[in-house]
Amino acid sequence: MAKDKEVTGSTAFLPSVRSIVLKGGSLVGVVALSIAFASFTPHFMTLSNWLNILRQVSVVMILASAQTMVIIAGGIDLSVGSLLALGGCLAAVAMSYWGWSFVLGSLLGIAIATLAGLGNGVIIAKGKIPDFIATLGMLGALRGVSLLITGGLPVPSHFTATKLAGYLPQVLVFLGSGDLWVIPVPAAIGVGVVIITWFILSRTTFGRSLYAVGGNREAARASGIDVDRVKVIVYGLAGLYCGAGGLVLVGRMNSANALMAEGIELQTIAAVVIGGTNLSGGRGSVFGTLVGAILMGVLSNGLNLLNVQPFWQRVVNGLLIIIVVLFDQWRRRLGE
Amino acid sequence: MVGGQEPLLVLQDICKEFPGVKALDGVSLEIFPGEIHAVLGENGAGKSTLMKILSGILRKDRGEIILEGKRVDFRTPRDAISAGIALVQQELSLVPYLSVAENIFLGRWQRKGLGIDWRLLKKEAEELLRRFNLKIDPQALVEELSVAEQQIVEIIKAIAKPQVRVFLLDEPTSALGEKEIARLFELLFEIKKEGKAIIFISHKINEALVLSDRITVLRDGRKVITAPCRDLTERDVVFHMTGKTWERQREAESVVQKERVTPILVLQNFSVDNFVRDVNLEVARGEILVIFGLVGSGRTTLAEGLFGLRRHTGKLFLEGKEIELSSPLEAVHSGIGYIPEDRRHGLIYEMPVFSNITLAVLSDVSRKGILKLEEEFRLAGKFVQDLRIKTPNIFREVLFLSGGNQQKVLLARWLARNPRVLVMDEPTRGIDVGAKFEIRELTKSLALTGLGIIYITSEAPEALEFSSRIAVMRNGKIVAIFDDPSRITKSDLIAAASGALEREVVWNGQR
Repeated sequence: MAKDKEVTGSTAFLPSVRSIVLKGGSLVGVVALSIAFASFTPHFMTLSNWLNILRQVSVVMILASAQTMVIIAGGIDLSVGSLLALGGCLAAVAMSYWGWSFVLGSLLGIAIATLAGLGNGVIIAKGKIPDFIATLGMLGALRGVSLLITGGLPVPSHFTATKLAGYLPQVLVFLGSGDLWVIPVPAAIGVGVVIITWFILSRTTFGRSLYAVGGNREAARASGIDVDRVKVIVYGLAGLYCGAGGLVLVGRMNSANALMAEGIELQTIAAVVIGGTNLSGGRGSVFGTLVGAILMGVLSNGLNLLNVQPFWQRVVNGLLIIIVVLFDQWRRRLGE
Repeated sequence: MVGGQEPLLVLQDICKEFPGVKALDGVSLEIFPGEIHAVLGENGAGKSTLMKILSGILRKDRGEIILEGKRVDFRTPRDAISAGIALVQQELSLVPYLSVAENIFLGRWQRKGLGIDWRLLKKEAEELLRRFNLKIDPQALVEELSVAEQQIVEIIKAIAKPQVRVFLLDEPTSALGEKEIARLFELLFEIKKEGKAIIFISHKINEALVLSDRITVLRDGRKVITAPCRDLTERDVVFHMTGKTWERQREAESVVQKERVTPILVLQNFSVDNFVRDVNLEVARGEILVIFGLVGSGRTTLAEGLFGLRRHTGKLFLEGKEIELSSPLEAVHSGIGYIPEDRRHGLIYEMPVFSNITLAVLSDVSRKGILKLEEEFRLAGKFVQDLRIKTPNIFREVLFLSGGNQQKVLLARWLARNPRVLVMDEPTRGIDVGAKFEIRELTKSLALTGLGIIYITSEAPEALEFSSRIAVMRNGKIVAIFDDPSRITKSDLIAAASGALEREVVWNGQR
């Protein structure tokens, strides 16, 4: 039935531009924006500025990778920011007040975030509560727990009754703001997480199950996939990613506080959507998300360099999401 | 009725191309007032595309649509409806929580002050239903109606728009049992009497021959023939559809040897959901047990119970061992495969062919959770070849395959698992003749390899054609078991399924 694709366009050139735009998606947006910014300011197209962009989006990259997996499985995790704060704060408290080592403190932070993530999964799978509601609840609850842990103060701080055992370990600071040769460590971690996520999604049975569950829950169940288990694991995994993201962020700021990364869940969802992942599940890729995160990073960096008011930046950032999704819809219609 | 009249609708040289496929290639057609016109063709022949263009869902690339002498161009379904062409959706488009009357006049409710004139709404709906002799309560909620009744409401909804003179029906009978089909036919004849035209797509050739005045056959996007029904036989139509001659044959009765000695699956007092009650059945190795029943007889409920999708009581023995099935997971692991009635419940459309095939055997194509893609591709490729699944490659999304090929993908998924029992619920519904034939052939060869097959169907000829035994269901019970299908006729089956035989009967006394 399907014949070989024939070129039907009027000229050979036009279809090729069209197909680049069609296939490239958000990557075309990144390139176009970069060209635009580069022509307005000489400071944009420099190595140090690009490394800066990568450093800035690294935490979003890590969390958005988790979000990609969750969304592909047909869920959504609104609690990523709170999970990050919980893991980061607890690790920081352990290291600076309880005198734990970097390794133990980090493990504790990641473990608690993972546990809370698993909690999300259990509530959703066993409690049969919509993902949106369960994680919305956790978004608030876990912020509260972080506030309780830190007493609402930055960690480490001299204003607490507990005696400070020490400042944050240098390794942690290196994770968040160090450089390997010229590459910022957090950016390397972010890209590493993206690659690991890619591997999980495309090369493991678990990743395949994520697509199956998100694409057609009933069909996945009828094929012998334990849908509940997949859900619990993916939320747990998201918790683990958030814990890691928390360490990077705390390292970058050399301080933890319970309200850090507030609103980041929306940025991660935006990155996922801009990256072409289907919000209703079953379709998507983490490299798309990477491009989405970078697109947002490039935009805010460029606007900063151009001295655009931060208020306007919010407007532009918001509109970007809508434009990208409009574009994506148009692209899909043409592709059909 | 045809001839001497002005055509109501004229299509001239309609073309539509999708990337890589010419879906319609210069199709011309005339439809007359008071005509029922069937459009036949295998899947992928372009029938649905034609309907979508006529109803404004898709836009044509080239060609003319002339409605009552005027050129029209539809951008949206709304344009088509206001011009007088309405598509009766195959996928039901009713609002389940609204009443029949509200649904019929959806979006066109008569105002009365600030509210809706409920009395008028109800009265008009009642009149419409009476006009077509339908016993449906206009105040009933749509979700309480049977699928067949919903389909009828769907048609009434289109009729209720006075400007609509051409009705497009896409597989109107695919979800209906025989009785309901008869009712639908009556309704269509009423519409015809009013001088309106009906164009319908069907896979059932005999149905098209009975119902329509003229038939158009499409093949690969081109029109092969338009002819009055009286000039055509079933064989002619199949010839035009496939381009091949086809001998209707009664397939050999004893393809499958009856090793009744070793039942592979035994059901004892098996009840599901308080609806299917006390089913006692056995399926032998290499046997095709057909479960025949009309819509609503409980066939699907039974199948879902057998696959752990519904709660059930009673005993189930697989190869002599009693098994518990509280979830599909356990069913899959104990060696039961299931092809659901609706392909959409089994396939993951956005996934490519290969991963749909390997979905139930992921642990076989992986080590420690890491996929061995080469092996996966090889396995999928083998099934694509063996089952002759028509797809450009194994990476194509299942979405783009025709119904018959989708069904084969689903079959391949279970074959990959080497199940011991396969439950197939209406596997040939809504797919074209060629694919139907292939699916049946495959089923037979599967049985020969020693599988026990439970094959559910509501088409009597299919039940008779290749079953080893037939169990008839009605109202959630097995009402008859025919041990030798070669000795019964279609009417025996229908009689049993529709309740003409009231007592439980076991024929031939062989049990």
